[in-house]
Amino acid sequence: MRRLSAIAGAVFLDAIKRRVVLAVLFFAAVLAFSAPSLPSYGAGVDVGVYREVALSLTFAASIILALALSANRIPSEIERRTVYNVTAKPVSRWEYVVGTWIGITAVMAAVIAAFTVVDQAVGLIRYGQPMWQLWQGALAIWMETGVLTAFAVAVSAVTGPVVVAVATLTFAFIGHSRQPVLVSYPAFPGWLYPSLDSFNVINPVAHGTGIGVVYVGLMALVFAGWVAALLALGSLGFMRRDL
Amino acid sequence: MSDTARGPAISIAGARKVYTVFPRAQRIAVDDVTLDVPRGAIHGLLGPNGAGKTTTLKMLLGLVRPTGGTFAVLGVDSRSRAGRAHVGFLPEQPYFPPQLTAAQAMRLYARLSGVPEREIAARTGELLERVGLEGRASTTLSAFSRGMLQRLGIAQAIVSRPSVVVLDEPASGLDPLGQRDVRNLMMQLRDDGATVLLSSHQLSEAETVCDRVSIMSRGRVAAEGPIAELLNVAGRTAIRVAGLPAGLPASVASVAADVVDSAGLIRFSVDDGEVRRAIDAVYDAGGAVVEVEPKRESLEDYFTRMLANEKGEVA
Repeated sequence: MRRLSAIAGAVFLDAIKRRVVLAVLFFAAVLAFSAPSLPSYGAGVDVGVYREVALSLTFAASIILALALSANRIPSEIERRTVYNVTAKPVSRWEYVVGTWIGITAVMAAVIAAFTVVDQAVGLIRYGQPMWQLWQGALAIWMETGVLTAFAVAVSAVTGPVVVAVATLTFAFIGHSRQPVLVSYPAFPGWLYPSLDSFNVINPVAHGTGIGVVYVGLMALVFAGWVAALLALGSLGFMRRDL
Repeated sequence: MSDTARGPAISIAGARKVYTVFPRAQRIAVDDVTLDVPRGAIHGLLGPNGAGKTTTLKMLLGLVRPTGGTFAVLGVDSRSRAGRAHVGFLPEQPYFPPQLTAAQAMRLYARLSGVPEREIAARTGELLERVGLEGRASTTLSAFSRGMLQRLGIAQAIVSRPSVVVLDEPASGLDPLGQRDVRNLMMQLRDDGATVLLSSHQLSEAETVCDRVSIMSRGRVAAEGPIAELLNVAGRTAIRVAGLPAGLPASVASVAADVVDSAGLIRFSVDDGEVRRAIDAVYDAGGAVVEVEPKRESLEDYFTRMLANEKGEVA
């Protein structure tokens, strides 16, 4: 546990100071502030539409940031040989992979929390509502980002950043295409489909009454299952790799 | 006393690494390397680029999966986590997460090495001072020069006071003062009872500090032994004299070889049987004998000759 927290802490400290984090935060804040004045909404923009736009922006910015932080993390550590300083110590390869994921996921938690605070602040200023239900959406986005980060870390344990970025985006696309794919290919067993739809709660959060505790629990189970499976595969690949 | 306590500090037997290059070609990087390093010694692993030194070290540390062979440190499989707990490693041209400060990096490596939490701050301060980085604990590593990173690399390698220290090109990127500091540090580590395995291109460095060396070439150990045994030229003695402005007396010049005159100090070698006569002749001519020692070939010369012989064999 101490080694995991040491690796995760170092990854967090190193990643949180990178300019890309500040840049994405800045532009997301600018977009959040400008969302209520988008011409397509006109005057009297609907609160629900604002919530939907805010969560969609948070989701898009989070995906970009998660990819930027995770796609090249392990490849660049191998290329720059920083990995030797860790893996030559009494540290298991799986601890390195899992610690890296925890560090990046912690950065994503901080960033998504910051997005949500900005979204809430804009909502309060513009519409006079605190919009606490945005945090339900933020939790779902963080979980999905965690799964995508686990996928990126797992793939990056065995290959380079370009392949990681393409593979992760493909995975995200497929993960949200369950319905149309199963309609087009009805013979495909639906239970085998790698779906990420459980994390798509924008509609109930933006236009409904939010999600319940049971649904959050189910979402957490799906999150844990995906992350465990992906990190296990990534660790296995990394263990077999010459550094 | 257990076998663990009696055996060599580092034991490599039959190490072999074959890389398979797509689709089926094979490249042998290391072939049947066997190495035993006794406790408390500084052992040099020397050889040209591509000789297999770094691959051997990486296999020892579990960074590269061997095709064959066994690797042990203090009797424990060095590729296991328990084995690596005894080892400190400085990789060639070390690099660190650039956004961390020196203190944060040292804290990371201390925690990974199992240094107790309460000792980390004191150990960090002590080591940064020892490697010449005092006052730099709060500096971000992106602002460190190549030499400073090298010094930090050495500090992190010994943060847990390991019994075995593996250094891959430790003087790389350091100025002459830094290189001297590294040499002194290696000797201090040996004095403290640690075993040092040093991979180096800097033959003068190895010559100064190593008790024994293994010379690798083309993935194999081509020669191994104490430096004196490898480099001493049997039957000849090196003499250094001063106070002979006119040069060596004729009786000495006729039997001397390898004569080098440098700012009034003349160095030459003679057959062992001629030593007494040469010294007498130097004193008779008004000169003084500064040094007499067995003639030793420089490691550079040895290296060059060995590689030339290998090329000859291939041709």
